Amino acid sequence: MHSRRDFLETGGLGFGALALGDLLRRQALADSDRSVAPLAAQSPHLPGTARNVIFLFMQGGPSQLETFDPKPVMKKFDGKLLPKELQDYDLAQINTADATVMAPRFEFKKYGESGQEISSIFPHLARHADKLAIVRSMHHDLFIHGSAMIMMHSGTQLLGHPSAGAWVVYGLGCQSQNLPAYIAMTDGIFRNGASMYSSGFLPAVYQGTDMRIEGAPIQNLKRHSSISASEQRRLLDQINAWNRLHRSTRPGDSRLDARISNYELAFRMQSAAPELIDLSHESQSTHDLYGIGDGKPSDRFGKMCLMGRRMVERGVRYVQLICGGWDAHGDTQGNHTAQGQKVDQPIAGLISDLEQRGLLESTLLVWVGEFGRTPIKQGSNGRDHHPYGFSAFLAGGGIRGGKTIGATDDFGFAAIDDKVHVNDLHATMLGLMGIDHEELTYLFEGRYRRLTDVGGQNNLAARLVRA
Amino acid sequence: MPITSRCQQAAVLLLVFACGRVPVQAADAPAQPRATHWSFQRPKSPTPPDPKRLELKDRVRSPIDQFVFKRLQDAGLKPAGEADPLTLLRRAHFDLLGLPPSPQQAAQFLADTRPGAWKRLIDRLLTSRHYGERWGRHWLDVARYADSGGYETDIYYRNAWRYRDYVVKSFNDDKPFDIFVQEQIAADEIWPDNLDLDPRKVYKVSDLKRRHLEARIGTGFYTLGPQVHESALDARRLHYEATIDWVDNTASAFMGLTLGCARCHEHKFDPFTQADYFALHAVFATAREVELPLWTAMEEADWRQSYPRVIAVERARRAYRLFEKQHAGKKMTPEQAKRKQQLLDAVAHSVLALPEKAAGQFAVDYAGLMHKPIARVLARRHPELIPPIHLLIRGELKTPGAKMTPALPAVLAHATSTPAQLKRPFGSRKQLALWLTRADHPLTARVFVNRIWQWHFGQGLVTTSNDFGKLGQPPSHPQLLDWLATGFVADGWKIKNLHRLIMNSAAYRRSSRFASKQHLADDPDNRLLWRANRRRLEAEALWDSVHATAGTLNRAFGGPPVVPPLAADEIASLRNKWHWTVSVDPAQHTRRGLYIMVRRNFKFPMFEVFDTPLTSVSCPVRDVTTVAPQALWSLNNGSVIRQATQLAGRVAGEAGADPRKQVRLAWQIVLARPPTGAETDSALTLLDSLAATKQSSLQDPPATLKKLPAPRRRALAKLCLALFNLNEFAFVD
Repeated sequence: MHSRRDFLETGGLGFGALALGDLLRRQALADSDRSVAPLAAQSPHLPGTARNVIFLFMQGGPSQLETFDPKPVMKKFDGKLLPKELQDYDLAQINTADATVMAPRFEFKKYGESGQEISSIFPHLARHADKLAIVRSMHHDLFIHGSAMIMMHSGTQLLGHPSAGAWVVYGLGCQSQNLPAYIAMTDGIFRNGASMYSSGFLPAVYQGTDMRIEGAPIQNLKRHSSISASEQRRLLDQINAWNRLHRSTRPGDSRLDARISNYELAFRMQSAAPELIDLSHESQSTHDLYGIGDGKPSDRFGKMCLMGRRMVERGVRYVQLICGGWDAHGDTQGNHTAQGQKVDQPIAGLISDLEQRGLLESTLLVWVGEFGRTPIKQGSNGRDHHPYGFSAFLAGGGIRGGKTIGATDDFGFAAIDDKVHVNDLHATMLGLMGIDHEELTYLFEGRYRRLTDVGGQNNLAARLVRA
Repeated sequence: MPITSRCQQAAVLLLVFACGRVPVQAADAPAQPRATHWSFQRPKSPTPPDPKRLELKDRVRSPIDQFVFKRLQDAGLKPAGEADPLTLLRRAHFDLLGLPPSPQQAAQFLADTRPGAWKRLIDRLLTSRHYGERWGRHWLDVARYADSGGYETDIYYRNAWRYRDYVVKSFNDDKPFDIFVQEQIAADEIWPDNLDLDPRKVYKVSDLKRRHLEARIGTGFYTLGPQVHESALDARRLHYEATIDWVDNTASAFMGLTLGCARCHEHKFDPFTQADYFALHAVFATAREVELPLWTAMEEADWRQSYPRVIAVERARRAYRLFEKQHAGKKMTPEQAKRKQQLLDAVAHSVLALPEKAAGQFAVDYAGLMHKPIARVLARRHPELIPPIHLLIRGELKTPGAKMTPALPAVLAHATSTPAQLKRPFGSRKQLALWLTRADHPLTARVFVNRIWQWHFGQGLVTTSNDFGKLGQPPSHPQLLDWLATGFVADGWKIKNLHRLIMNSAAYRRSSRFASKQHLADDPDNRLLWRANRRRLEAEALWDSVHATAGTLNRAFGGPPVVPPLAADEIASLRNKWHWTVSVDPAQHTRRGLYIMVRRNFKFPMFEVFDTPLTSVSCPVRDVTTVAPQALWSLNNGSVIRQATQLAGRVAGEAGADPRKQVRLAWQIVLARPPTGAETDSALTLLDSLAATKQSSLQDPPATLKKLPAPRRRALAKLCLALFNLNEFAFVD
């Protein structure tokens, strides 16, 4: 019996106290005779099509009406009062009774064989229209960035719940020997702090690692200036020797072994992580594909997307790339033009690149913000936060693209058809990875918790992989 | 095969339910409350097993051992022997103070060969004020303590630290636990004093009144939870979320129950109904948070007089500095020079105008004058402003059910033969607190002695220390738990006596360096206590140890949270830089970990890596993870390197230039034991080989270290760094 316990304690990156129910869960997830190390790669419940996720989070809330949800009807109402039947909704700051409609500010065209409608801010992405599954009926009911972002990442508005990435790694483990299983990167700041990539009540091994684009990518990764590489090696060897000696007189405690192996992992990470973000060996054509180049608006997010591909190549399970700046209260048109320039070419480049390398089939891309924006005008030409109906897209990971899922009403006010709650989106993501969202649970505060809380009934996974 | 069978049980449970998926009939009348579960019945005081019948009767040191040895004997497991004195010393120091013993303390302990040395050691440690810092921190985990509100704004709670200091002081004062509970839940209702001056006592405030005021800070427990602090959320919802936090944490912290489930539906396992939940909600609906001035009317008047003058100093200084900046490096006209002198004079005048107390000790009292002493506590709402509390169907505000009045959970009221209904509108919190601290309450004492046991042994007799309900684990030693709980109450809820009782047992003094195939197979989790549990130092204890051994730990007590500086890569993920405003005084940067700012949105990075608790809900047991970033911190972090250099300075200062003496002392300081011969040899080899290679220079070596030749001082600093990276340093045997 104790060998299994030892396995539990020694695997991979480390050991977290696992409750029994979870041990069981993990057994169900693992092959019958596999070690149950917390981060060991696990087989999913079901045959899934995706092995990795790149979650493209558009922080601030991109407007559905300027991206993926054209509303030709609104043209007639531009600048006029909102129709009576839509005035009942509670909005954050705008009184619907005297609000005026603002029609979409960009032209939409149909692209690809599927004729998916995409706004003119995404010319590069539009070329991949047949690979995208666009969801126009996303919804929840939280108006402020903080709660909505926590909702979008952890399926609930409350603090302290694990983010989707932590759940995925908890379910499927890590494929990389030298890098964290779950990496989060932002082009600005994490508006909600660590709750954007937190392991919440799951053991801390499942916490996302926030990695920076420049400098030392991970905290404390860089050797201190007063210690040379050879000295560090010499010190490590001596530390290991003493630790092994210490271990030899303390039977039955595999945490001590885990710590010894962690020192070696830490040493390897010191070279693996900087190598990961070093793009100098990528070809010029790759740089161009992602829109990387000094002075280009797409430079920063392009680098992040290229790093995202490199992470997937190196076995990082869940990559979270955050692009801030979508909070277009003022000039929505100007804002979204600029935001489009930031992300369009990088995301399109990422899709092309993954495809060329044969990684797109196994890598799920999800594009979404924490909410959409109001169909009515805020100030002279802006839009306010709006969670009742907004858009997302999925690509790769075995999805058959060219699909549009769900619909909002004529004003893009609320999702009315085939509604997809955040819990449903998460259920879909897990489903595509072969995880039954109702079975991936963790006992906390007397309840078996799920990423999808009590929702997730509208799981799109099966539909999305069908031709 | 205990795991397998329990797994099978869990499997059945998992198949049977998933919380929230089963349709709920909220409005159904609950069945007659019945308390068949063990923890809902009053504890009886069991007689410890007869020591004469124990094989190991010679090793019995306390009645605790009679229970423990009996279980081991029944299971056919022989316990490990006693740990050696230095191991015990280190264990006791970390356990009670969270700090390592110094070489002098080790020598003293070894030199005390009279009987009772161990008892004297415990008594001595229990009188240290560091004891309250250590054990107060344990309670702060349970109290989900933080200095900010979390969510997007992560608003700073400028007075939360007063609750932290109140907790620390309560432990140091050995405040009886029943009083501690009463103060936190209802001090304002139980001791409704104010600080009005008493003319009969010559315009003084009586000590009793001051004590009552201090007690009210206990209700700060309720004022430091997570808080959404943004516009665009309706007030009713905010109030609901805040008071839900109060109800859930009252249940977790004091009753060891996870009532949260009953918010949305009848509890699936425990006999708690939604009505129970919202009746408890109604208890708290009469309370609100207020800022309570911690001073008398006289002091207030004094402050009002001084405050404008303090601001005047600040203004004058700013004006002078601004002028200086504007004219820095430029040649001044005579007029400008005159103006400068005038500004300087103004500063002098403003300082002279300060009250003598402030001007005399500028650094201390100046800051004190700027801050009104205030605590955020609970008080009663205006009767007309008490919101009606409804049972909420599915826990949703949109679907209110019956209106609720304050009441105790029916099944527990029944178990204590108490009427469930409580007073209204006011007084129900007081009743709740007094009821919880009744001598025959089935939960309060059991839950708390189990926590104390857990904090001593690493795991409780009940391993789910916030869940004594049916989903929780049953106690490993039910009789022992009840014996401890009833004894604790009979002894007047005295915590320090409980420490003495536990630490004087043979169970506590066992060696951790023992295992056999049979033991690991039969009881892999050591529930039967056949050996001592080796424990990884908690984040704070590790931080404190690094600084204590380096000789840099600032042992100052209490006060507002301190904010140590962070490296650029540590601070990069922080949203608002002003959320981590580094303490100006460098001496504050090496305070004990307890005092470091606890932000809900941004944990001190080293603490995050070493598993400090989630602050969104009560944390019963900390995770202990082993992850690579921990190794990266100990190897590369600038503050560790700095402390290793300081430690090297301490070693060089006390041991001189002889490497052998240095090694010996370094071991004694860091590991509280002398090195073995082999360790000495390898350490000397390491020192020589490091000294022989070209090395980068050290940053800020202390003067004592500078006395060594440069290559030797660098080598010594690196040896010290290596010691900080040893498993033996990070674990307590």
